Parts: sequence; structure tokens; C-alpha cells
Amino acid sequence: MRWITLLGRTGTVLLMVGLALIVVWVPPAGSPHESSSSGSMSAEEYKIEDSGVYRSQTGFQISVESSESLRVYLLGLTSLELEDWRAQVREAYANLDDIWIKALTVPLIFVKEAYPDLEDPQIEDIMDIVWNVSVLDKGLQTHPEIVLWQSPPSSTLSHEFFPADVLTVTVIVANPSSHNVTVRTKIRDLATLAPKERVIVPAVLLISIGVALAIPWLISRKAKKSTL
Amino acid sequence: MGKGRPFLEVFTCALSEDYWFPILELLVLLCALWTFFSAGLAGVSGSSSDFITVEAFTHNLIYSYTWPLIILVGIPILKNIAYGLGSDVEKGIIHTLFSYPLTRGYILTARLLSALVIPLLLFLGISIFGLFLFFPDIIVANPGTVFLTYAAQLSPVLLTAGLLLLVALRLKQGVPALLTGLTLCFVLFVIFNSIANSIAYGTGSDWSLRIYAVITPNLALQEYCLGTLGLSSQIWVPSFSEVLLYVLAGYLLVAVIFIIAYVYFKRWLRI
Repeated sequence: MRWITLLGRTGTVLLMVGLALIVVWVPPAGSPHESSSSGSMSAEEYKIEDSGVYRSQTGFQISVESSESLRVYLLGLTSLELEDWRAQVREAYANLDDIWIKALTVPLIFVKEAYPDLEDPQIEDIMDIVWNVSVLDKGLQTHPEIVLWQSPPSSTLSHEFFPADVLTVTVIVANPSSHNVTVRTKIRDLATLAPKERVIVPAVLLISIGVALAIPWLISRKAKKSTL
Repeated sequence: MGKGRPFLEVFTCALSEDYWFPILELLVLLCALWTFFSAGLAGVSGSSSDFITVEAFTHNLIYSYTWPLIILVGIPILKNIAYGLGSDVEKGIIHTLFSYPLTRGYILTARLLSALVIPLLLFLGISIFGLFLFFPDIIVANPGTVFLTYAAQLSPVLLTAGLLLLVALRLKQGVPALLTGLTLCFVLFVIFNSIANSIAYGTGSDWSLRIYAVITPNLALQEYCLGTLGLSSQIWVPSFSEVLLYVLAGYLLVAVIFIIAYVYFKRWLRI
């Protein structure tokens, strides 16, 4: 009986810790920032929809609606990798202003991979080719490690994303079809106090163990009360 | 019959008396919610760039969200030791406990396990679990600072618990022991703190802070971690070895007080 009491109280304590984890995970913190855009996308082109630094507790939800099937990619780079890529772009395209290099690091690296023989191009030359889906495909083939998530081809999608680490995340929307499409995109910033992947497993474990330990004690407590 | 079964019996009796269902559970829920919310907020908005060293950031992170927990677990410690043990002696419950085939030392240990060790285990368990969950990299990278911060924070709690135990055994009454305990906490952590700081700032000498750091080694650790950013950086910035000495001195004081309390309970307590 003493052991049942001890284990039962241990169980209720574990249950409370598990419930606290769930409570912390559920409510989103802060007021979410939302941005939306709509317009048409040319055939076989892609665009950067958003780019920003996110961490395990700050993510976003992306929703896309379009007249044809599109592909969405989330690409992630650490700050060190981003700096390394910028250095590579500066070396390859010495004529480019730093403002372009900083804004378009990822597409410019993809151009470098797709057109390795391009020598001292001007920004106009690069802009002619940079947004081709073929350039994107070549870039992703060469750097598959940066793809955090890619959607199946779809005309409507919604996806919630929290990176595991601090990353500069670039959201890319690509139109692989051979005709223009109209696209409406909405990105809503999300913040959570507790990262889902870190919280759910311990919470479920604590609640399960807690309930398993507490039930015999609660039953014996009820039986004891009813006999009194 | 061994000592295990009666010891468990006394311990569970004390546990049921100290923590009525669901008082313990509510306390745990509050502690866990505070820990996870504050650690989560620190994770969303926290930045280590304001601190000179990673040690300082780690110390400040742990300290900033564990001190309210100390107060939360301090309440049951105060109530269980001062009021609980005082009432046990006053109402003669201690006579029933003495009828178990256990020495007085074991009985006091079982009582303290419930009154003191359970809240401390909850504090350590929940806060370290929260740290591992929200800041695993920081914990793995700075285990020494984490250990030292916890050690420095627990020393005054244990010191107070020891003094409360002595007060309860000496007064042998629940309510007076509780009131004296509350006064003792106020004197130790509010009045002494103000006096030590006033003397230090008034005279520019660090001796009052050094004496007070034996009671609360966290003061020394904080001044060491914050360095020139510390409140009393113009007066006193201890070295790391000094911080270790203050923590050791604090625990030595705790050990002496508990030894006195045990000896008093075993040999001189007349009921």
C-alpha cells in the first residue's frame, strides 16, 4: 500500500509536468506578422517569396493558391554557410554590387552552378537567366542539403514550418509549367514558446507514465474512501 | 524486521501529512509552468550578446528563471519544517513516530526527506529538465557553470532549512516556529542583504559583502560572472577560486547546523 501511494504520487507529479509542457506548447506567443502577395508568374520561372532568419521557436505558415500546379521549396542556410556562399559569389562575379549579392545570394550561387563559364557578367545579363527553373533545378541538384522541405506539385497548399536550428530560410515558388499562372501567396509568422519536436515526445511519455503510475493509487484511494 | 519498512512507513506518513492531495501536484504544475514559460520566452527573445562571457550568460539564464522557483519551493519547506515538525512535537505525534523500531536519527531523516528533499528534488528535476529541453547546447557546453549556479542557489535554502529545524525543535510549537521562521528568512535575506550592501557602498570596503557571501554564495558567483557589469564591481569582483571557497564555506555552515540539529534531536530533545 505504501509503495502504491509513493508511486501514485510520483505518477501525479509526472502527469502535471507533462500537462505543463502541453500547455506551454499550445498557445502561440506574440502577434503574428502576415504578408501576402498575388500576381502572375511566367512559364518555367521561379521567384523568392520570402527570406528571413528563423529559429526553432519562430517559424511561419505558407499558403499558396494558383491556377496551375506549382512547386514550393524551403531552403535553409546557417549564417556561416550564407557568408561562405556570398564570398563565392563575390569571387565569381566581381562586377556585381554587394547589394545584389546580399539580396540574391542563393539564386546567384545557382547561376554559378548552372553557368560556370559566365565571365564578368553585368546584372542585366544575370537577370535574364537567374529566374529560370532550369537554373533552380541545377542549383538544387548540386546543393540538395539545403532543401528543408519541398512541396509536391500542387495548385493549393499550406505548410507550417519551424527549423530545428537558427537558419536563414528562403521560400521559393517555382512554376515548372509551360504557361503563365496566377499565384496568391500568404506567409504568416508563427512563434511558439516550446518547439513542437522537443516537447511532444517528453510530454506524451510523462503523461503516459504518470497516468500508469497514478491509476492504481487513485483506485485504491477511491476504494478506501468508499469503505470508510 | 529491517529498518526499511518502518522507515518507508514514517516517510509516507510524513509525505501524506506534508502534501495533501492535490497540493503537491498544484505546486509541481506551477513550478513547471513557470519554468517552461520563462525558458520558452528566453528562447524566443534571448540573446547572449549582452554578456561578456558564455559563463555569465549561462549563470544569468539559470538564475533569472530559477529564483522564483526557489521561493515557490521555499514555501512548503518553511511550512513543513517549521510548522509541521513544530506541530508534531507540540501535538505529540512525534511520540507515535518514536514507537517505530527506528532510531531518532532515522525518524528525523524520514521527516526531512519529505519536508526538505522532496521540494528540492522537484526544484532540481523541473528546472534542469526545462534547461535540457529549451537550451540543450548551453547545458552541454557549460556543465561546470550550471552545477555551480545550482550549488550556490541551494546553499541559502539549505541553511534556512537547518535554522528552521533548530527553531522548530527548540520552540516545540507549530505556529511560533512558523512565525519565527518567517522572521528569520526576512532578517537573513532582506535585512542582512541591505546592511551588507549599505556598508559596502558606504565604506567602499568589501568585507561585509564577503561575510554575506558565506550565507548566500550566489552573491559571489554573480559578481564573478558579471565582472565589471556587476552591481558592486567597483568594490568587489571575486576570482573563480574565491567563488568556490564561498560555496564550500556555505555548505560547511549548512553541515554544521544540520549536525547540531541532529545531535539536539537525538540526545537533548525532551518531550
